[in-house]
Amino acid sequence: MVSNAKELAEKRLARLMAAMNLEEPDKVPLAGVGGDIVPAYSGLSMYEYCYDSEKALKAMENFLKDFPCDWPFAASVSGLDGRVFNVAFSEFPDISINLTFITGPMHDVLGDKYYRYPGREISEDSSPQFIGGSFMEADEYDKLIEDPVKFIAETVLPRACRNLETPRKAMATMVRLGTEISKFNAMMMQTVGLMQELGYPAMALGGAYAPLDLIGDFLRGVENLLLDIRRYPDKVKAATEALVEPIMNYALAHKNIGATLAFIPLHLNEYLSPKLYKEFYWPTLKEVIVRLVNEGFKVMVFFEGRHDAHLETILELPKGWGVAYFEKTDVVKAKEVLKGHTCVMGGIPMGLIVGGTPAQIDEYVKNLLEKVKPGGGFILAPGVGTAPRETPVENIKALIEAVEKYG
Amino acid sequence: MLDEILKSIVEMEEEEAIKKAKEYLDGGGDPQKLLEVCRDAMGEVGARFEKGEYFLSELILGGEIFKQIMEFTLPKIKGESVKKIGKIVLGTVKEDVHNIGKDIFKVFAEASGFEVIDIGIDTPEEKFVEAVKEHKPDIVGMSCLITAGVTSMKKTVDKLKEAGLRDSVKIIIGGGRVDESVKEFTGADAWADDAAKGVRLCKQLIGVEG
Repeated sequence: MVSNAKELAEKRLARLMAAMNLEEPDKVPLAGVGGDIVPAYSGLSMYEYCYDSEKALKAMENFLKDFPCDWPFAASVSGLDGRVFNVAFSEFPDISINLTFITGPMHDVLGDKYYRYPGREISEDSSPQFIGGSFMEADEYDKLIEDPVKFIAETVLPRACRNLETPRKAMATMVRLGTEISKFNAMMMQTVGLMQELGYPAMALGGAYAPLDLIGDFLRGVENLLLDIRRYPDKVKAATEALVEPIMNYALAHKNIGATLAFIPLHLNEYLSPKLYKEFYWPTLKEVIVRLVNEGFKVMVFFEGRHDAHLETILELPKGWGVAYFEKTDVVKAKEVLKGHTCVMGGIPMGLIVGGTPAQIDEYVKNLLEKVKPGGGFILAPGVGTAPRETPVENIKALIEAVEKYG
Repeated sequence: MLDEILKSIVEMEEEEAIKKAKEYLDGGGDPQKLLEVCRDAMGEVGARFEKGEYFLSELILGGEIFKQIMEFTLPKIKGESVKKIGKIVLGTVKEDVHNIGKDIFKVFAEASGFEVIDIGIDTPEEKFVEAVKEHKPDIVGMSCLITAGVTSMKKTVDKLKEAGLRDSVKIIIGGGRVDESVKEFTGADAWADDAAKGVRLCKQLIGVEG
């Protein structure tokens, strides 16, 4: 059994690596669905999934046993993006990498205003949600530009987190946060063990962030930032440039845990016209990606929403740089543009899995794979990995079976 | 003057647009006419978005300029009635706490002449039902960002059916993760994943040219 699991993991890893290296794998790899359906499948509330690691692990095990795939990318960790904390701790690589995900217990400890957790601000059945906010004034860009880490750690976080409001509160909060980090890391170790038992490749995932997203998501709020771009363009641009170094320090700290793949989820890409994208978003994001590639990482970028208008800019990256994971961009068109240069990931609309029938899913996967399978360099995945708790399980099965048949 | 205001809004010249609108009113201009011009400008911003010339950032900035001009224009119109083309009850569905999509849609719907009753975020099904009973809207607009919202939309449509209210309203769903199959699944009448399309469809739903 153990050797079988090991073999299976190697086979799955080879499949993924072939796709990432722009080769044709034995079968199109599937990154499976996850999200709310994982706890729901075991009768757990979202609250239990976020706050009880033992139950969460068991739920993950049940789900991954019954709905196997090559890469359970969306079926693990129940934390929300914490990149502002990564930057705040970027001078301390051993700490910085532990805050990529802010879990429910960490959220409680911080008392932050960025997240909403089930059983806390929202009902026990709700998904944890990021809403961000505005914790920096428009006239504070100079401070951000001058010393981004100092400004974020000493000015922004005390505003964004009730339990960091004063140095005295912060002392206790940091001790408690350390305890939660230890618990979370222990759970991650157990998760890795579980993955190995179930025959999944152990891939340590690193991370980075687009500098403009850091400002939009954690400092100014999306709407304010979009207005700032028009009102104070030079300041915004200088701020993105100032954030590259701390983001790189955080990203490169993952070398210490042996990560070779860095994940960057994008947010504002779809909001911007090509002109604004090329001026305010892409230059510093590109710099982060290229520097990671030069340091031996592969990078996986999640292009949220529709990225059609900016597709060609991806070709400015070095060939084989990594994986372009698309949410709503047509992957057939994307593959046409990026063929031989970038591994393309995505293709399954979550609406189809939630609202479609097994026959429709079979037909859809068949048609899609006919177009994107030839030549390799493709990973099939839901456009967004989080399946609602009422997702019909026969539809998830149908997806897996269709990939078996046509992959 | 009105032409210049229209152009400034459409071209996203925030300061210019607001300055000229103020000058226009200070010089004795007709606030009703200014309102109409601002609405036309927003219509053009929406049209450019649908053509792929404009992006979300322009929708948000356009909405911001419109709101700022309305702040000093609408009080001057009170007394005279502002004609509405229809009424929308709008909310982000249960278990979803995001407001950005709903808020962008709201500005554009209002700019198109709809009266919008905003019932907030994380809105329980019953609250939609009550709002429909109370306000008797032409349209119910439901917004969501997260995928879990999709099932909340379905439950809300079901609740409206149970209450016998489904046939008295048109239902449109909106948000980044809705599409045709989500529309089918929820039993809504229309779907949109951007505000400009959403408002155009709302006009169609009530038989006003979109």
